Amino acid sequence: MTGVLPPDTATAPPTTRPARRRHTARWVAVTVLVVAAGLIAVLATRQPAAVSEVQSPLVGTQAPPVRGLTVDGRAFALARPPGTFVVLNFFAPWCEPCQAEGPELVHFAFEHQQAGDAKMVSVVFDDSASDARSYQATLGATWPTLADPQGTIALSYGVRAPPSTFLIAPDGRVVAYIVAPVTAADLDGLIARARATGA
Amino acid sequence: MRSRRFPLWTLLAVVLVAALLVGSGAFSSTPPTSAQRAASIESVIRCPSCEDLSVADSSAPTAVTVRSTVRQLVDHGLTDSQIEDYLVARYGSAIVLDPPTSGWSSLVWVLPIAGGVIAVAVLAAVLARRRRRSGPSLDDDVLVPAADPVAVEERRRFLTQSLADADAEYLAGDLTDADYLSLRQRDLARLVALGPAPAAPATPTDWATPTAWADPEPVSGGPGREGSAGSAGSAASAASATVTAERSGTPLEPDRSDRVDRSVPRRRGRNKWFLVGAIGCFVVALVVAVPLFASHRLPGQTATGSVALSPSQQVARTLDQAATVENQGQLGLAAQLYQQVLTAHPDNEVALAQLGWLEYKIGQQGSDATLLADARTKLTQAVAMTPGDYAAHLYLGTLLLQLDGNASAAVSQFDQFLADSPPSTVVGQAATVLRQAYTSAGMAVPAEVAA
Amino acid sequence: MNGTLGHTGVLLGFAAALVGIVVLLVGLVRRRPGGLRAGRFYAPLILLGGIVAVVAMQRALITHDFSLTYVADNNSRSTPLLYSITGMWSALAGSILLWGLILGIYATGMVWRFRHRADDQLVAWATLVMYVVCAFFFGLMLGPADPFTHVSSVPLDGLGPNVLLQDNPLVLFHPPMLYLGLVGFTVPFAFAVASLVTGRVDEDWQGETRRWTLFAWTFLTIGIVLGAWWSYQVLGWGGFWAWDPVENASLMPWLVGTAYLHSVMVQQRRGLLRVWNLSLVIATFSLTILGTFLTRSGVIQSVHAFSTSSIGPLLLGFFGLVLAVGVGLIAWRGDRLRSPGGIDSPMSREGAFLANNLLFVLFAFIVLLGTVFPLLYEAVNSGAQVAVGAPYFNRLIIPIGLGLLFLMAVAPALPWRKSTAEIMRGRLAVPAAIGVLVVVGCVIGGITGIEPLLAFGLGAFAAASAGRALVLSVRGAWRSARGAGASPARATLAGWRGFVGRANGGMVVHIGVVLIAVGLAAATAFGQRGTVVLAPGESGTFAGHTVEFVGTRVVRTPSHLSQQALLRVDGGAVFTPAISQFGTGTQAVGTPAIDSSVTSDVYLTINSIPAKGGPWTFGVVVQPLVMWLWVGGVLIVVGSILSAVPGRRRRPTDPVSTPVGAAAPPVAPDLDPEPEPGARTDREPVGAGEAT
Repeated sequence: MTGVLPPDTATAPPTTRPARRRHTARWVAVTVLVVAAGLIAVLATRQPAAVSEVQSPLVGTQAPPVRGLTVDGRAFALARPPGTFVVLNFFAPWCEPCQAEGPELVHFAFEHQQAGDAKMVSVVFDDSASDARSYQATLGATWPTLADPQGTIALSYGVRAPPSTFLIAPDGRVVAYIVAPVTAADLDGLIARARATGA
Repeated sequence: MRSRRFPLWTLLAVVLVAALLVGSGAFSSTPPTSAQRAASIESVIRCPSCEDLSVADSSAPTAVTVRSTVRQLVDHGLTDSQIEDYLVARYGSAIVLDPPTSGWSSLVWVLPIAGGVIAVAVLAAVLARRRRRSGPSLDDDVLVPAADPVAVEERRRFLTQSLADADAEYLAGDLTDADYLSLRQRDLARLVALGPAPAAPATPTDWATPTAWADPEPVSGGPGREGSAGSAGSAASAASATVTAERSGTPLEPDRSDRVDRSVPRRRGRNKWFLVGAIGCFVVALVVAVPLFASHRLPGQTATGSVALSPSQQVARTLDQAATVENQGQLGLAAQLYQQVLTAHPDNEVALAQLGWLEYKIGQQGSDATLLADARTKLTQAVAMTPGDYAAHLYLGTLLLQLDGNASAAVSQFDQFLADSPPSTVVGQAATVLRQAYTSAGMAVPAEVAA
Repeated sequence: MNGTLGHTGVLLGFAAALVGIVVLLVGLVRRRPGGLRAGRFYAPLILLGGIVAVVAMQRALITHDFSLTYVADNNSRSTPLLYSITGMWSALAGSILLWGLILGIYATGMVWRFRHRADDQLVAWATLVMYVVCAFFFGLMLGPADPFTHVSSVPLDGLGPNVLLQDNPLVLFHPPMLYLGLVGFTVPFAFAVASLVTGRVDEDWQGETRRWTLFAWTFLTIGIVLGAWWSYQVLGWGGFWAWDPVENASLMPWLVGTAYLHSVMVQQRRGLLRVWNLSLVIATFSLTILGTFLTRSGVIQSVHAFSTSSIGPLLLGFFGLVLAVGVGLIAWRGDRLRSPGGIDSPMSREGAFLANNLLFVLFAFIVLLGTVFPLLYEAVNSGAQVAVGAPYFNRLIIPIGLGLLFLMAVAPALPWRKSTAEIMRGRLAVPAAIGVLVVVGCVIGGITGIEPLLAFGLGAFAAASAGRALVLSVRGAWRSARGAGASPARATLAGWRGFVGRANGGMVVHIGVVLIAVGLAAATAFGQRGTVVLAPGESGTFAGHTVEFVGTRVVRTPSHLSQQALLRVDGGAVFTPAISQFGTGTQAVGTPAIDSSVTSDVYLTINSIPAKGGPWTFGVVVQPLVMWLWVGGVLIVVGSILSAVPGRRRRPTDPVSTPVGAAAPPVAPDLDPEPEPGARTDREPVGAGEAT
């Protein structure tokens, strides 16, 4: 290669420059590491999705109307304002966590039936009225259970999956939303907290 | 360079643009029908009870409800954003599959677009910079410290390869004359600027081609021959491999590899290492395995893991299984299991009581009088067999209350039930029935029930 | 027995990996080639451990040994044999077992392939990295993901597999193919790390491991396409890609891997982009680990996700480690190891591959951002939530897809180094004309919508360009056969050579991708969904197809009970969508029935069965060109196989086009270069392919 070149260029000294090295790779790599560290930090502190809280935009607002036919065919409409605490429970007979929470609801309902300060209302989610009726009968539930065949009540409350429970204050505001099976103790606690904060 | 060129590309461009304009509906713009509006809204609303699907895709009942609501709202004349707000007010902001373009969530739109723009800009800048400085200076592409012989050698190899490359491509007709000459000139100048090649090379490797380039004319050399490190004269360049696939990667090149200690005789060393290691593996595996699973044995499980139970263990296990199955709701299967135990051990009171209770439940469901009668017999037997068993009393009392309506007989059973110190959970579960019995019999409900 | 055997196998694999690491480290640090050579024997031991564990698990599943928790949870007495076997990878712990087995296979393969170079430091480092990954996954099986734990009391019958996983035999293929792909990227990663550690990036290690990468990429492609097909056949919503986080987790490595397969050609040809290629390989492997984490940690809700366990933090930690090591190595040595030259002109094949990389990396970034964004958003605004779904992805990805189609059309005709508009116009005139004709034809045929039209036009352009490249290569093969003296008939037969080799296989892959793109565009833009309510005996129409409700049927087998509806579509064949209940569970699962044809698919599902006699509600989805997706997938696989077949022993450094007549040199028209004197013929370059 060198032999074929014109002689003058062959003897010219090579141009020298001070050694300057670009550090692009290093800077890019450091940036990537920093961003990745941030991502890992976020991922490490996440709760499992099944456990994480879901907020309802209804909390703090007036509860949407609850009216329709019950599974026994009677008409029912929740008074607005209801005047007492109302536990509005969306359930389905095919839903296993609902089956687990059923006896707790019965217990709660019986307790407060005597005191008269809280009522239970159930709404069937995505199942037939007849299935729900026999389910409630087996459970021993005596409170109103609405059929909601078109799912409109579920939509107005933004219910995605059963069991979903709303606690409505006597003045009609929604004060709590639980998207997991509840216990009677949970409900009592929520009522106490609502009272304390001036429901 | 033809005198009359058929303007094919212009024609293609015009036709394409025209077709796209027509096809995109720019000329036939009818306002979307309400069905189309509803469909487009439905495609961005998430199905409430599904994971990733939109309500347009899903056939779940919640999706059906949302779809009909959307259609109603569209017919009522609400705008798209009003309908979305309506649903967000009920389900929360995560019901919309399109993240909002305001606030923090706008980042999800901004970042990709910004990333793309930045990348294109960087690319363009880098390429433009290279083109602008296409002189023979050293810091053209990559800055090479003059004092680093390895890097200089690498660069020399690269440039030699590039020159050979350009020749081949020109021959193949991929490069125009002008491009070929400019590339060749530039790379030659850069090669010269690197300085003279080092004198004696390392061992010429196998693929060094002996044929030198005879002349600098463009049309020279054979095709493909220069595909390897064919540089004229300088065997040093030929010695070090270029980045062709022919590099075999064998014997570590003396000028850049670490020193390899070849003093250890090969075969013995290999056997010793491997044997030690392999034995170590197995020992570790065994030593850890044996105590590990020795602690995890089920009752009756032998060392190899097969399970052999004594008769009483078998009975216990079957009862266990029956209880589990019963809790899962498979009453028929549970009854079978209890019957199994009873046939083998007719004096097993637990099986008797549980089977009686099961028959009662099944008989109740199917209104089967024979079953109910049999249930009654079994429970009475069970109560007689073991007066201290609270469960039998509870079952019998419930049967008496619900079948016969005999509250007082039920109450006497329940009294015995409570006297047998049942666990409070059981009392709690039975509370309703107990209260019913006592109140029907006109007696006071005992304290532990009312608790 | 099964538990013990399984534990022993896992322990053996873990111990072998650990001891292998120690031996190799000693050999590397103390420079003992004996140690390096001995280190490779531990890979077969790892594989043996994996095989023993898998055999134990399969034996437990097939014999319904419910003393193991895993079997009790994922198997039942009524489960058919096929789904007992596939039960091994139906849940988390078993899937790690499958991962470990495949790791063992790849480690053994790698060690065997490079056995003659076992005392090479680079090979030793790569083996070391493989062992570390094996140790991690086998270690997972000893701790949180233990598949061989025992129950406290043996149940009478197990719970059976997830109902969706015993609906279709595809479950036998999809996860193993996917894992063969995902795990396969460990080998190039190991070599990338080894290159960086030893500083030997200018040798062609990336080229040597190209076949491994291609192998892994092919299986990942098969896995993804099978997953989409399965989703279509089983899930009942009529779609095949939901941008589900788990689907995205397998797509991201595929995208970056595809970018790598292209840019490594630039490295082989011109020696450029070395550090960039190393980064791509490291990114691909990191994304597979991230994907594994997302799938198994439960932080993202998904239909495919495995149940949660404490495996999440460990996988996240491993992801961090991989990233720290890989990116850290690049930060440390990357700048010193850069290629000595640069790209000459943007209008060249190098430039096109760079643009291709840019688009693919941007694509992967969008998928990653969309998948993790809900988590990030929630972390910043505690409590508030946002969903990122199909509309987001589609909107951002359609322009990228169109850009990629355009590049696919232009790049095969682009030469290396530098090109001019003149050359390109000449070469691409016919393909461009075909593309425009297709657009015009579609517009005349009544198709509207700018995105589908662009997709069809660019797709035709790309397919025609790929076809042109194939035609040229076949003709070149024919010519050289003639030049070597074959008769015209035999020379025609010899034209098959024009289809094999890296570039030609790549053209077939491109045609497959075009088919998929066109099918996607058609199905999503022109799909129609609706419901038809029919009483038995009635007929209805939807979207131009008639559906006649012929009758019903109840099918009862030991494993499931299903109610089927018999529907005759367009007066032709009868299809049976069904609703089934499996085993002991009461959950009902819908099974769709699909009338596929080349032009459109009619997808039938039962939406609701009335309790008493009455009309049934059926869901109907009509989507055009869905079959093109599956055919395109097959073509991609065929193309990959073709590309792995060695071509005519050309070097990747040969020019793009066959010599044009005018400048033909005065040598024989045989285009094969003569072997260099003394060339080692037993070491054919691995990456050599048809460089047409």
